[in-house]
Amino acid sequence: MRFHPLSSGGSLEPMKRTVAIVEDEPAIRDNYAAAFTREGYVVRTYANRKQAMAAFGARLPDLAVIDISLEEEPEGGFELCRQLRALSAELPIIFLTARDSELDAVSGLRLGADDFLTKDLSLAHLIARVNALFRRVEALRRPLEASQIVRRGPLTLDAERMQVEWEGKVVLLSLTEFWIVYALARHPGHVKNRQQLMDAANVVLDDNTITSHIKRIRRKFQAIEPNFDAVQTVYGMGYRWVE
Amino acid sequence: MSLRFKLLLLGLATLVLPWAGCRYAREMESALREGEQSSLQSVAQTMASSLQGRRDLLYREVPPARSTDSADTDESQAPVPQPEPRPTPYDLRPVLLFAQPSVDGYADEWPQGKSAWRYYAHGQHEFGILTGVFERMLYVVLDVRDEHVVFDAPGASPLEPGTFGDRVWLGFQGPDGVEHQVFIGATGFGSVTGRRIETGEYGQQTAVTEPRITGAWQPSAKGYRLELRIPLSMLGERFGVLVDDRNARGAEPVSYGTLRSDDLHTVGRLIVASPDLTVYLRQFLQPGLRLSVMTPDHRLLSQADALAQATELGAERGFLTRFYRHLVDRSGARRVIDATATIYDRDQGSAIGLLQVTQTEERWLTLRDRALTRMLNLTLVISLVAVVAMLVFAARLALRLSRLRTASETALTREGLVTTFPETDSVDELGDVARGFSTLLGRLNEYTGYLRTLAGKLAHEIRTPLTIVRSSLENLESEPLPPSAGVYVARAREGSERLNGILHAMGAATRVEEAISSAERTRFNLIPVIDSAVSSYRTAFPQREFALELPAEGVEIEGAPDLIVQMLDKLVDNAVDFSPAGATITVRLRLEPHAALLEVENPGPPLPPESRGRLFESLWQSRLGADSRPHFGLGLYIVRLIAEFHGGNATASSLPGDSGARFTVRLAR
Repeated sequence: MRFHPLSSGGSLEPMKRTVAIVEDEPAIRDNYAAAFTREGYVVRTYANRKQAMAAFGARLPDLAVIDISLEEEPEGGFELCRQLRALSAELPIIFLTARDSELDAVSGLRLGADDFLTKDLSLAHLIARVNALFRRVEALRRPLEASQIVRRGPLTLDAERMQVEWEGKVVLLSLTEFWIVYALARHPGHVKNRQQLMDAANVVLDDNTITSHIKRIRRKFQAIEPNFDAVQTVYGMGYRWVE
Repeated sequence: MSLRFKLLLLGLATLVLPWAGCRYAREMESALREGEQSSLQSVAQTMASSLQGRRDLLYREVPPARSTDSADTDESQAPVPQPEPRPTPYDLRPVLLFAQPSVDGYADEWPQGKSAWRYYAHGQHEFGILTGVFERMLYVVLDVRDEHVVFDAPGASPLEPGTFGDRVWLGFQGPDGVEHQVFIGATGFGSVTGRRIETGEYGQQTAVTEPRITGAWQPSAKGYRLELRIPLSMLGERFGVLVDDRNARGAEPVSYGTLRSDDLHTVGRLIVASPDLTVYLRQFLQPGLRLSVMTPDHRLLSQADALAQATELGAERGFLTRFYRHLVDRSGARRVIDATATIYDRDQGSAIGLLQVTQTEERWLTLRDRALTRMLNLTLVISLVAVVAMLVFAARLALRLSRLRTASETALTREGLVTTFPETDSVDELGDVARGFSTLLGRLNEYTGYLRTLAGKLAHEIRTPLTIVRSSLENLESEPLPPSAGVYVARAREGSERLNGILHAMGAATRVEEAISSAERTRFNLIPVIDSAVSSYRTAFPQREFALELPAEGVEIEGAPDLIVQMLDKLVDNAVDFSPAGATITVRLRLEPHAALLEVENPGPPLPPESRGRLFESLWQSRLGADSRPHFGLGLYIVRLIAEFHGGNATASSLPGDSGARFTVRLAR
């Protein structure tokens, strides 16, 4: 199944899915809520961690979009994520942060978030992610379908489950990172420039952030395979997957 | 003048201590001398008192003079103390001789001063007489002026008047008071012996040799010299000399001298010290002392001398001592001190003599030297210690000050980055200055840090409202809108995207700094990196030509290839912006022994001269480039950061003839 970032994916299940948005800036919160609602999701909004946790304790959402800095807690989002993960291991969580500099920090925290992005993400891209994450949840519940699996040497890519394995071992990538690896590994040897990677990853960022994404990807693979060098930099052009 | 030099001068000022010490030593020496003087005076006084009335000790005890016509020789009579006889011009006072003169007629070994001589004259005739005493012998020197010395006829009887030549008569009272006369006559120059005339029981006269009186008769410039030796035991109170000067043998003499010429009776006295006096004085003698007894008119009677014997007290002769003494001693200072006291008669009426006590410097000089040495050593040591301490302190101060200066110089780098300032916890003023600096730099650091992050912070602050705007516009686009509204939404969208771009550019520098600080270094070959980068530029900028000049062999450097590409991107962006369409941009890699030089040249306007030094600073200069993308002047700043990351720097210059610009990045290798 090919997935176009802007296709609507909320029609697979009859029951409407619930998306929780935890964001302290009311205008942004409401704008996000409007976009999600238009997409067909049920949206619940919370302004701070306490409200969110109180609600989650009563009933979990199907997906949560969490801003890292919440009201007077600059890292309230992390704390909320931990508490939420304690309640559900598979719930998709998307982190939003105002600062790019926090991406590295967040990535290193291993909070089990499925993706983390900056807030200058366009709504369309945000929706695309939410849709993709719901698809993944579905795919994880279904039995393994071999047709969706792409193999490139030691690499195994499951496009539905959005999972990556290297020599049988799972590599935990965020959604954005998965999209980048998928874009590269689908056509090994082909150079993808930054713009193409940005489109594949549903981000609009400057070159430096793509570079840091690539760096994070390499690090995650190297944790499993120290000699990993399948992602090759082609200077001035972009990146390519080598086998 | 450096601090050290100033403090050295100050330290040398403590040398006033030894100088003061020397002055003090001199004063102390005067005081000591005075003290010694007064104590010596009391010693002299005491000794003089002990000699009071002891005329017998001072002078030879002479039995009271008897008149020659008195036959009373009763010796049982106790001597009646005689009043002091009046002095006469015929009194002879022998000097005290310190060595036995050789009786040879020459007075060389006698003391040479003229003052001891007595002269007696008669008309043209004159003789000088010098007497001296040495160990119970009286020595007499007669210097007689005689143009024509006449000798006795040889072999003739000394009593034959016709044979008489020049003769000298000695007249003296014996210890018993009896007058004696002895004559000296010679047949030629040489030794002589005294002769006396004795009258036999029958009245005949004979000349008898007086062997105890011997001498020598020698010629002199003026006439002749007679040197005689007479035992003091022969002599009593009176003594005299008479010269018979004949100008021909047997002629009538001219007689003159200290005897009465008619009967050769003595007139003058012989004033000699008692031999016991020396013994007496010797009792009181100590090494370094000299005791002298003199007649009231300062003629020496007796002397006991141990001046040269100051031995063990004068021991300290070390180099330092001699040096100090040289410093302190006044030239011409007397080397001895003496005190004189008068010896009075029994009833304190008249003076019978003078006692002089002389002491060498040795005794008190040594005391002084010992104290002086100790004190000078001490003060010199103190001085030295003070100077050294001051030098050390000055050196430490200077060191601390120069460290402070160095720290303050390096704390603020040329770019304004403030590094750490060394902490100090010394309590003194220097420590205060250092802490003040530290505080100042800390505040400066805060402020510059604030300024540097201002852009990033602003960007962050703006981001939220911008997100609101953008997300609102996105929602708006999904709402049904009349077409006319769509235009405005589109414009708003565009504007917010540009705003977003600006925000990105504002935070770009910070992102680059972060990327640089977290970049991993590897060794890589520059050639393929540059090559592929330039290929992509050819695609990206079709309106420009790219000329590539690379060395043949590979160029390995250590760094981050991504950053090199990013840097090159910025340089090429700049070059494209400032060159006309169709221009050729040159990318060149040159090699130096320890550097690789990456150059990007573009034809076009030259660099403005006033911006030369400031191009690579993180300026906030907004201008539109050829592609109407906003430029914030951060591109070159990023170039500089990346160049410095690779151990080099970035410079810019105009091409010759002001035909364009060249940017050169030096990379270490």
